[in-house]
Amino acid sequence: MKILVKNAKIVDSLSKHNNKTYDILINNNKIEKIAKTIAIDSNTKIFKGENLHISQGWFDMHVNFGQPGYEQKETLKNGVKSASFGGFTEVMLMPNTKPQLDNSTMIEYIINYTKDDIVNVYPAGNLTKLQEGKNIVEMHDMINSGCLAFTDDKKSVQNNELMKIAQLYIKDTNKLIMNFPNDLSLQNHGVMNEGEISTQLGLKGIPSLAEEMMLDRDINICDYTNSKIHFSYLSTKKSIEKVKLAKSQNLDVSCDVTVHNIFLTEKELNNFDSRFKVLPPLRTSDDNKAIVEGLIDGTIDVITSDHSPQENENKKIEFDNAEFGVIGLESAFGLINKNLENHLSLEEIINKISINPRIRLGITPPVIEEGNFANITIFDPSIEWDFEESDIKSKSKNSPFIGNKLKGKALAIYNNNLFLEL
Amino acid sequence: MNSLSVDHMLGIKYLTKKDIDLIFQTADNFKKIINQPIKKVPSLRDVTIANLFFENSTRTKLSFELAEKRLSADVINFSSASSSVKKGETLLDTVNNILAMKVDIIVMRHPNPGASVFLSRNISAKIVNAGDGTHEHPTQALLDSFSIREKYGQVAGKKIVIIGDILHSRVALSNIYCLKKLGAEVGVCGPSTLMPKYLDSLGVNHFSSLNNALKWCDVANVLRIQLERQDVQLLPSLREYSNVFGINKKVLDNLDKKITIMHPGPINRGVELTSDVADSEHSIILNQVENGVAIRMAVLYLLSIKKN
Repeated sequence: MKILVKNAKIVDSLSKHNNKTYDILINNNKIEKIAKTIAIDSNTKIFKGENLHISQGWFDMHVNFGQPGYEQKETLKNGVKSASFGGFTEVMLMPNTKPQLDNSTMIEYIINYTKDDIVNVYPAGNLTKLQEGKNIVEMHDMINSGCLAFTDDKKSVQNNELMKIAQLYIKDTNKLIMNFPNDLSLQNHGVMNEGEISTQLGLKGIPSLAEEMMLDRDINICDYTNSKIHFSYLSTKKSIEKVKLAKSQNLDVSCDVTVHNIFLTEKELNNFDSRFKVLPPLRTSDDNKAIVEGLIDGTIDVITSDHSPQENENKKIEFDNAEFGVIGLESAFGLINKNLENHLSLEEIINKISINPRIRLGITPPVIEEGNFANITIFDPSIEWDFEESDIKSKSKNSPFIGNKLKGKALAIYNNNLFLEL
Repeated sequence: MNSLSVDHMLGIKYLTKKDIDLIFQTADNFKKIINQPIKKVPSLRDVTIANLFFENSTRTKLSFELAEKRLSADVINFSSASSSVKKGETLLDTVNNILAMKVDIIVMRHPNPGASVFLSRNISAKIVNAGDGTHEHPTQALLDSFSIREKYGQVAGKKIVIIGDILHSRVALSNIYCLKKLGAEVGVCGPSTLMPKYLDSLGVNHFSSLNNALKWCDVANVLRIQLERQDVQLLPSLREYSNVFGINKKVLDNLDKKITIMHPGPINRGVELTSDVADSEHSIILNQVENGVAIRMAVLYLLSIKKN
């Protein structure tokens, strides 16, 4: 199938056509031609519209799709549908399945199950067997099966020696260790940010210290082992400062933040609203400000939705008993763009959801130039739209953003020789 | 205004000062009634109240039940030991099943903070929070302030210090909200491990010395030390707590004034209070218990007459 994207502004900082408006002809998985005007034959589908923008396909570094084991929350097919509706052509699946992704067979299962989809699903492997934090998984075996990164995700690695061993063990590969810094003894069953609101609600708080202590440890281990690490879901002002300092010392560190931690605060929880119960917790406006600054100055490399489907039974219950997590693939870009458009250029925003995660994970970015593979997202950053429950393609509906006005929307994606108009 | 601004009694933080005054005025009348030979009034005839206690309680449950019976309500009781909660039923299902039997008011104690707030968003009956985890225990705070008002004529301008585990105490939190709304000055005293880090946001003074706290205050509300609520031991021993923060006769005698001692009960005699203090003329502990019934009658009555 040939597709001509008419008059689209290219937003791709790696492309020589960046910031220019062209016609783009896609044919049989490749970008065939980029020019001011391209003549076409009758077999070519034309995609046109007002204010079209085109970028490398978007990439979400942390998603949970539930399958296998938690298909009532999300299946792989459904997760792919959510991602594609949000404009994402590639996602990294967290290993929180049942059984977990802690061996090469499971990595192959995910890759094979999703290989014909429009969205590439990269499975991250467990860092430790059963996420128990005791022994590292067979990393090389899993790497050979296509695993690009290792993490115990929200079950942060508590044992210092183990974290050191993990970093050393794959130091000579280009694969990535990711850790969500969260000291469990300091979290101490906390359910929201420790601060004014938790004090007023009598809810057990998660101190910023729980994140910052472990982040310090991980940075120290990274320095000691001379390896690399990626920090997931940072949420505090001091954390951003610590990563900034580590980067200035030329340590090979990178980090991401979730969409919701950019602009929501602990105040959302004032009425015990478990829709906003997330880990790391929503913090304060000071933390939000530091996160925005970190995004601007490049300390924070990646923005993720941390798409975490939870069925109603696990959310519409007493706050303490409710699960952490929100879904976010469908609303991610509209929220990021709306909240950051006055702080970051569109190109910088797109970098954090396309080029940066790919480079950190060792994936070759599909640069928008003639002859390259076509893996693209077509979008309009100026569309304002109401996010409704009907916009959610996920099996779970645990979004606190229903009813919000978003700005910016994906209009179509192309990947793996498939074209999807949204 | 003879009506509450709220539809439920979820916490003091949701009340206005006018609400609290109205509850006190109503409780004045009920207190007179329960001291008459015939202690019962027909105010809540045909109203059915379910007392749902998902956490152990003796005095609060008895106090509510007595208040309900003196208002002539029909009362049913339900406690977690005999409930289906342990069979995996959700709170909402449990409560909806009870409501299907035509219950008008739910009085609930629950171990999770905000459980009553959650319930109020999802069911139609009126809810009285009888203690939700470490969040609030509004009727306790109301009866405490009512008792101070009874003793001193008013709460405004009085200095009240709350002594003990502030971090894990719904009684402390509700009392702080209530006393501040009524214009009292509030202090807290106890080991730093039992103080919230963000105590300042509650607008209270912190005393690390018991003696300084007692010198400052008119009233000391002494909390029960509950080691069982704590995951990691925040105190080395009750013995040491008692030595540093326990109130005994000698401590009180060394003050150059007479202060009032309160306690929400049950008392650990010899830990936070010695017997000679608990039973002394300083203590209004049994007045609190008596006032508890009147306050709960007032709350139930005012909620029942409030139009949705």
